[in-house]
Amino acid sequence: MDIFTLGFWAVALLLTAISLAKNKQKTFSAMKKSKGMMGSMLSQIVAIIFLIGLVLTFVPPETIRAYLGSSNTAIATLTAAGAGSITLIPAFVAFPLVGSLVHAGADIVPAAAFLTTLTMVGIVTFPLEKKEFGIKFSLYRNGLSFIFALLIALLMGVIL
Amino acid sequence: MKILNLMKKNMLAAVIGLVYMLLFLAAPEKALLSLNNSAYYLKEMLVILPVIFLFTAVIEALVPKELILRSFGEHSGIKGNMLALLLGSISAGPIYAAFPIGKMLLQKGASVANVVVILSSWAVIKIPMLANEVKFLGAEFMGVRWVLTVFAIFAMAQITDRLVKKDDLPLESQDPDIQLTIRESYCIGCGLCVRMLPDFYKMDGNRAVVIDRPLDENARVAVRITAEKCPSKAIMLHLKEEKIS
Repeated sequence: MDIFTLGFWAVALLLTAISLAKNKQKTFSAMKKSKGMMGSMLSQIVAIIFLIGLVLTFVPPETIRAYLGSSNTAIATLTAAGAGSITLIPAFVAFPLVGSLVHAGADIVPAAAFLTTLTMVGIVTFPLEKKEFGIKFSLYRNGLSFIFALLIALLMGVIL
Repeated sequence: MKILNLMKKNMLAAVIGLVYMLLFLAAPEKALLSLNNSAYYLKEMLVILPVIFLFTAVIEALVPKELILRSFGEHSGIKGNMLALLLGSISAGPIYAAFPIGKMLLQKGASVANVVVILSSWAVIKIPMLANEVKFLGAEFMGVRWVLTVFAIFAMAQITDRLVKKDDLPLESQDPDIQLTIRESYCIGCGLCVRMLPDFYKMDGNRAVVIDRPLDENARVAVRITAEKCPSKAIMLHLKEEKIS
């Protein structure tokens, strides 16, 4: 285990101990809720992980580099941001997928753009949002999120 | 019906499973290679999964969300923004789970800016997820994305606040004094509310529906607990006198 994972484990266990000491019942009922939420995502998580295996087998790193690598940033980033806006998978399962692509040679700019629009821009959930907040609010929020996702991604390319 | 639902829920898993089966028949060595490739990510995921589980549960148990919910008014300023950011970051679930909460806060007088902050941070900044991001993309990537995203969220909140006025939002007119509703698009049919209060809720197909209104204070307290426990926050209880300062 690397140092970060160990650190997260330590913090998580410590907080759990504190929470248990403070209120046992509340902690257990929160765990039950958390279990339910993760349980419903589990099949998706496992599926994505096995999808990663397929992608890495059939799409050689050269191809990933050619399409998502640094030579192609502008188009790759726009495509990634667009794909992120449409797809509705939990960020939870997106990290290993995007991580595997980056390790295979994809540039981080499209990777960051995808991760940010994936969670912040929702075309599929737009009707729901419109119903709750009206068309003006929803259009501005999603539009701004898309633009800022691109900005975040570009800045990350400059910084990292 | 049940089998159909099960398949719909596990669509992706079913498709991937099928691909593997076909692959094993057509090109077994490729299938094995794919399994091998997945093994590393599976192992990494299993290492971080319990941490995410614990974080999600502990945050839910330790943070006094009710207290935070009360401080989002029009003039809450930076402090309100920070609390909004915090509320979004510690909550679990996808962005659409935040819509009913955002709407409820707006109705109780929260500013447009704070609602944008809540929705956006709910979507992108997840404290339990940060561990996951570090695991698969590295601490540097996570850190830089986090800082940039926080700035972006505050900027978006200010811009939206200028451009969208409260009149543009479809706030429901405050009708009868007491109103208990379940938003059917959010209900995931877990049946928790029905088990807790069978006098007020019942299952209708795979969704819960309201069958009675809570008229006395005791009933309201009980109903409020079900609304809090509801995993998708689909239960809405409106009382006329309820307003936050």
